[in-house]
Amino acid sequence: MYNRKIRGPLIEGNRTLGQITADVIAPMEASPGTWWFIAFGISSLAAIFGFYAIYITVTKGIGTWGVNNSVGWGWEIINFVWWIGIGHAGTAFSIFLLILRQRWRTSINRAAEAMTVLAVMAAAILPALHMGRVWLAFYIFPYPNTRGPLWVNFNSPLFWDFIAITAYLLISASFWYLGTLPDFATIRDKTSSKVKKAVYGFFSLGWTGSSRQWIRFESLSFILGGIAAVLVVSVHSIVSTDFAVGIEPGWHTTLFPPYFVVGAIFSGFAMVMTLMVIIRKMYKFTNYITDNHMDAIARILIFISLIMGTAYATEIFVAWYSGNEYEMFTFFHNRITGDYTTQFWGMIICNALIPQLFWFRKIRRNWVGLLIVSLFINLGMWFERFNIVITSLTKDYLPSNWVAYKPTIIDIGVYVGTIGIFLCGVLLFIRYIPMMAISELKSVNSIGNKKED
Amino acid sequence: MINTYKIGVFDKEESFISSIRLLQEQKIEIYDVFTPYPVHEVFHLLKRKSKLPTAAYFFGLFGIIATLAFLYYTSVIDWPVVYGGKPFNSFPSFIVVTIILTIFTVTIASLAAFSMRSKLFPGRDNTIFDFRATDNMFVIVVVNDGTDKSADEKASGIMMKEGALEVIDKELENVKA
Repeated sequence: MYNRKIRGPLIEGNRTLGQITADVIAPMEASPGTWWFIAFGISSLAAIFGFYAIYITVTKGIGTWGVNNSVGWGWEIINFVWWIGIGHAGTAFSIFLLILRQRWRTSINRAAEAMTVLAVMAAAILPALHMGRVWLAFYIFPYPNTRGPLWVNFNSPLFWDFIAITAYLLISASFWYLGTLPDFATIRDKTSSKVKKAVYGFFSLGWTGSSRQWIRFESLSFILGGIAAVLVVSVHSIVSTDFAVGIEPGWHTTLFPPYFVVGAIFSGFAMVMTLMVIIRKMYKFTNYITDNHMDAIARILIFISLIMGTAYATEIFVAWYSGNEYEMFTFFHNRITGDYTTQFWGMIICNALIPQLFWFRKIRRNWVGLLIVSLFINLGMWFERFNIVITSLTKDYLPSNWVAYKPTIIDIGVYVGTIGIFLCGVLLFIRYIPMMAISELKSVNSIGNKKED
Repeated sequence: MINTYKIGVFDKEESFISSIRLLQEQKIEIYDVFTPYPVHEVFHLLKRKSKLPTAAYFFGLFGIIATLAFLYYTSVIDWPVVYGGKPFNSFPSFIVVTIILTIFTVTIASLAAFSMRSKLFPGRDNTIFDFRATDNMFVIVVVNDGTDKSADEKASGIMMKEGALEVIDKELENVKA
């Protein structure tokens, strides 16, 4: 088939089926190593800092944050959009490549989906805290209540956002869990430890690998994949409408939905790359996550980076072309020049220019290069959200509303905390769940490896 | 009920497939096959089909109708509120909620259907004929009720000749699958 010639073998080193199982399970059987404990320690400290900041926020209120009357959305919304964006790619990666029948997804999809679930969980903390009285968060559920019954506003993007994220979290978690069933069964049948047999046996739900189970499994994967692809696109479009329906200068634009979706996939793919480079290095999975895999992700990143660059240029062009003086002010005097030039130019350099280094084959094939560029993209995407949220709010139509915005230590704590929670989750994932979908790897084992191909 | 099962264990996909073909040519009924990954040829040979896509379509239809009905009930009948001068039944702004809740309904209902049809749920212990089927072996299971001795021997012969690593007879009670 054509994909064999283009991509080369998907699994290198002529592994047998038994070796694939053994290789993927190996890190779960062995002691995790010093680096794992150090990383987990640091992540836990970050998470504890976060819990402290959350405790202060809940007990004292969001007055402990840097937000004020003009800048009602501060770091928490920036970080919420940032995390949701990262949380996009896992499922985007897995699902778009599934429905496009791109079989090189098999070594990466499991980790990407795990990342999605964890990032969306981290993201969900932030808007919940932003409600102020988080214990009343259930008010947003449309249920027959004693207040009327007054229903929620079904016309509001904030409500759409709430259901979209809840649905997205549940659906990506189920999609991910469905994929782990055959692998849990493999561990159940392979392990000698009684505890593991019981635990993985319980979570494998009685999987046997019969032809009846497999055909339903495949067909369910495609059903979930097909409909979740719609969800992936709609979730971040909805996040963007939270902004676009606001009449702040720099927000009120029809470009926002595609711009946000592409940006989300961009940051998520970058995060997938960061994690895969590290996992590949630490666990020596180069036979499974080959140079060709990393190369393919890098090529997608160049393409998306060009779209991002175009979107930035379009925004600026439209601000000028519309002739609207407020838009002109926001873009030309508050972003390109003015108080927030660092963030604006940081965004342009990290998102539109640095990824262009991937045009060079040497950088696409060098793990240090991949790691550095992917980290820059994540930083750049944070700058982008800072630009959108802060520059528009600090200086809107009335100069009497103009204020400066500075995060407090509590803002920083909440952010660091979400990073800590995310990393703890990732570390637990690589310790207790097979990092790659074992059964899917087996199904692509022969591709490109047989002599006749 | 105690039954004897004849279990053929293969390490190569090709010999496993050709055994299924030959067993079917000899009209020997295959109980089921177990593989470490989905083998599409098996689905064709054993004529396995899944009705999940059709079911999912109807779940989706139900989701759309139920969501729109709910939105209409809350916004028009139960507690009408004017938001920004829009009509009570402001259909265009209901589309987003409808899409998402439909997707949600399809997911949950399809998962439930999958779980019920495949008999997969927490604590379920389906019979495992050979532990290696989730690792690196392809397993064919033929039921042997003891009435037809020649068919029984024929099945063993075919599987051994096609390159089975071993053919085991197992007596199992109350098979769950």
